Amino acid sequence: MLTCIAGGHVIDPANHRDGQGDIWIRDGRIIDKPNNEPGATYDAAGKIVMAGAIDVHSHIAGWNVDTARLLLPEYQSAAARLRAGETSLLTKGWSALETGQLYATMGFTTVVEPAVSPHYALHAHLELVDTPIIDKATLAVLGNDDYLLGLLHDSESEQAIEDYVAWILEMSRSLGIKVVNAGGVAAFKDNVRAFSFDDVVPAFGLTSRRIVKALQRAVSKLGVPHPLHVHCNNLGLAGNFETALTTIAAAEELPLHLAHLQFYGYGKEGNRGFSSAAAQLAEAVNRKANVTIDVGQVMFGSTVTISLDVLRQFNARTQARPKKWLILDGDANGAGIVPYNYRRADFYNAVQWAVGLELFLLINDPWRVFFTTDHPNGAPFTSYPEIFALLMSRDLRAKWISELPAEAMAVTTLPSITREYSLHEIAIMTRAAPAKLLGLTDRGHLGPGAVGDVAVYDNLTDKARMFRAAALVFKDGDLVVRDGQVTHHRFGRALAVAPPRDRAIDRRMKDYYEERYGLSDEFVKVPDYALSRPEPFVFVPCR
Amino acid sequence: MEQAWISGKPTALDAAITEAAKLIGASTRILITGLGTDVAGARAAIALAQRTGAVIDHMNSETVLRDLEVMRSSGVMMTTPTECHARADTLLLTGPMQGAARNQLLQGVIGNDQPKNGGQRRIIWLCPGRDLLKIADTIDATPIGRKEKDLPGLLATLRADIAGRSAGKTCVSAKQLRQISAILKQSRFGTAVWSSAELDPLIIEMLCGLVSDLNATTRFSGLPLAPEDNAIGVLHVCSWMTGLPMRSSFGGGFSQHDPWLFDGHRLVASGEVDCVVWISAYRNEPPPWRRALPTIALTAPGPAFAKPTHVHITVGRPGIDHSAVQHFAATGTLVAFAATQRSDMISVAEVITRIAAATQGPRGRSC
Repeated sequence: MLTCIAGGHVIDPANHRDGQGDIWIRDGRIIDKPNNEPGATYDAAGKIVMAGAIDVHSHIAGWNVDTARLLLPEYQSAAARLRAGETSLLTKGWSALETGQLYATMGFTTVVEPAVSPHYALHAHLELVDTPIIDKATLAVLGNDDYLLGLLHDSESEQAIEDYVAWILEMSRSLGIKVVNAGGVAAFKDNVRAFSFDDVVPAFGLTSRRIVKALQRAVSKLGVPHPLHVHCNNLGLAGNFETALTTIAAAEELPLHLAHLQFYGYGKEGNRGFSSAAAQLAEAVNRKANVTIDVGQVMFGSTVTISLDVLRQFNARTQARPKKWLILDGDANGAGIVPYNYRRADFYNAVQWAVGLELFLLINDPWRVFFTTDHPNGAPFTSYPEIFALLMSRDLRAKWISELPAEAMAVTTLPSITREYSLHEIAIMTRAAPAKLLGLTDRGHLGPGAVGDVAVYDNLTDKARMFRAAALVFKDGDLVVRDGQVTHHRFGRALAVAPPRDRAIDRRMKDYYEERYGLSDEFVKVPDYALSRPEPFVFVPCR
Repeated sequence: MEQAWISGKPTALDAAITEAAKLIGASTRILITGLGTDVAGARAAIALAQRTGAVIDHMNSETVLRDLEVMRSSGVMMTTPTECHARADTLLLTGPMQGAARNQLLQGVIGNDQPKNGGQRRIIWLCPGRDLLKIADTIDATPIGRKEKDLPGLLATLRADIAGRSAGKTCVSAKQLRQISAILKQSRFGTAVWSSAELDPLIIEMLCGLVSDLNATTRFSGLPLAPEDNAIGVLHVCSWMTGLPMRSSFGGGFSQHDPWLFDGHRLVASGEVDCVVWISAYRNEPPPWRRALPTIALTAPGPAFAKPTHVHITVGRPGIDHSAVQHFAATGTLVAFAATQRSDMISVAEVITRIAAATQGPRGRSC
């Protein structure tokens, strides 16, 4: 069936397109203009047409997310719904179904769950399979697992590490590898309470630096398109911008992606010893073309922090709002769930809000800065429309700044920043660039051959309203959203990589699981029969 | 072999499914409970509950909710059975730990060997009851206190001693108490282990508080032994499908959770529900109440119930008759199990899907 989205303002940076035009879709793919074929036409005159948006870092599925919901039933009570602001989890609903629907209504068509501990991969994929409309992917977390740390301790070859990483990627059905406070979580099991890049994991005699470098090399050698995705040490601590700078320097010229950089944007200036260091971070990122970052923007309101950085979450639990939390000392990275409430009147929270925006506005290259709130850690993803609005209007930012503690704004550079994002830059940052970062050549653009994932927005001056409810959204050529309402339920698939490996690792892992756990390694696998939909995965080629 | 009955009379499976659908269509307030089933069965049951405005409960909700209450009131530190097995140099067992919990403890948590990190494991057992003598040669545990009724006082005093606060008398001597405190504080990675099926939530909360306090200076965590019938697996399915745990209602067009309001036992006793879907795929358990209510029972194969339900369908056992995903107590994770004795017995998921397809349109009338 031929579909035409006619006469809209098409913004497709990957194909250098920014002007009025038509988009044709047939059999789920975008095609060149056909010859005289009948089909359905959707009038997009006066509207903005982009590829479906891609979120590179959002905690939407798995044991951690499920447990966070169980920790906070009050977030979904009827009374809470009446009290809460428009964009919080409180009103919007918090299930796999609602996740897929809410993302789709904003024009997002691919979302990456960035924190899957390999033993929980099946759990994450079961939940993702029940998340409608969007395509998805997971990142498998390594760097605190005994097997890898053992390889490094024993000075095993790079080949051995690559084989292990390849085995993990395939068995967990992931698109890439993430590292979360490399070595720090393992060290915490040995009662270490603070851990920086050159600190040593007691049981293995390894530094975080060594672990990160080894994984970075392995991911690169395997040809996995997505660079090593790094959650640095010292998240949330005053002065931690140094940690981010050190990690950037350590990457040398290999590709490196830093997660939720906002949480590392803190200096120690001013009366309270807490200030924004976003300018220094932005300068470093601008200088290093091999570095990409996602922001992890903070927005005000109630939320919950869900993280595999057990050390950080353990230390942060004293600041829980409300006062409860869960810490899991897991098989490798474990989990920490700490509810939080970012308040406008709170000096520290106001600085955090500013740091994220500074990073967006001071990093020059929209191909290297990615749009996230580290959902839900900085804010629920339902706050994205408000963030777009802030990026695109300095007047709106000024209004917000005027309502925040002046002493907080004084330790940031945000009040002086005049830059405003254009729709073209938004399209790069949320479509073209994420597709490139993840190695997905079939999306993030509207050229022939791309998947028919298209978002059409009313061109409104109120950018929050514009991005909250798309006029039309197509997924694989099917219309799924009209006027901000989901019209059709369908299911996407999970994108994964499976780089080749020397199969001897399979035997080694079998033996390892027998020896360490007394169990068959079958327990960590994600067999197709366990997922209720046919063909749940699409494999993306490695380089 | 007979697979389906209507009011105790054998019938074709299709007829039983049609009858079940009719019953559901004619009911105003449905309770879907038992829920002893695999992930696929739980998904189907919860979807049916959402469509019909029903209440969902699980035969082991009481146990699950004890730990959940402690977590969502004050917070907990937990670990996995595998990590505990590999790392714990001290185990603080709490309460008698009978039944299935005992098996999990002996086979999984303790197992046949010492922790992988080379340490020697010490086991302290608070209030083990009389059974300790029976397994004393299987595990080398130091009993502290004996009767379950001493447990609250013992835990409170121990917690106070660890924190350096003074405390009154308890069932053990002050000297012994200090010795235990010292062992716990000197542990490198201790784990408190308990069976929530046995313990009052306030006891669990005190124990979890003690664990949390120990982390001021050392590493200590907690391991609740998993209840049976895939309760934890169903709990997670509930969370991702509805945002809520079991004992939740989908009537009136919105979802709500209340452990008392939506307790299946209470709803049956009060007459607030007029239809029950009872699911027990792991064991041929009948519904645990005596009150006769129109019931659709889906159970593992076994002898007919003394009091037949309105509809009864025999279903395959997950992981045996058909492959299944369920919570694996040995790892604390959801695991896929291939069928060990594959049969063509129908699964819970398939029965419910067929019943749902046969019912009339959308509902959700109840308040």
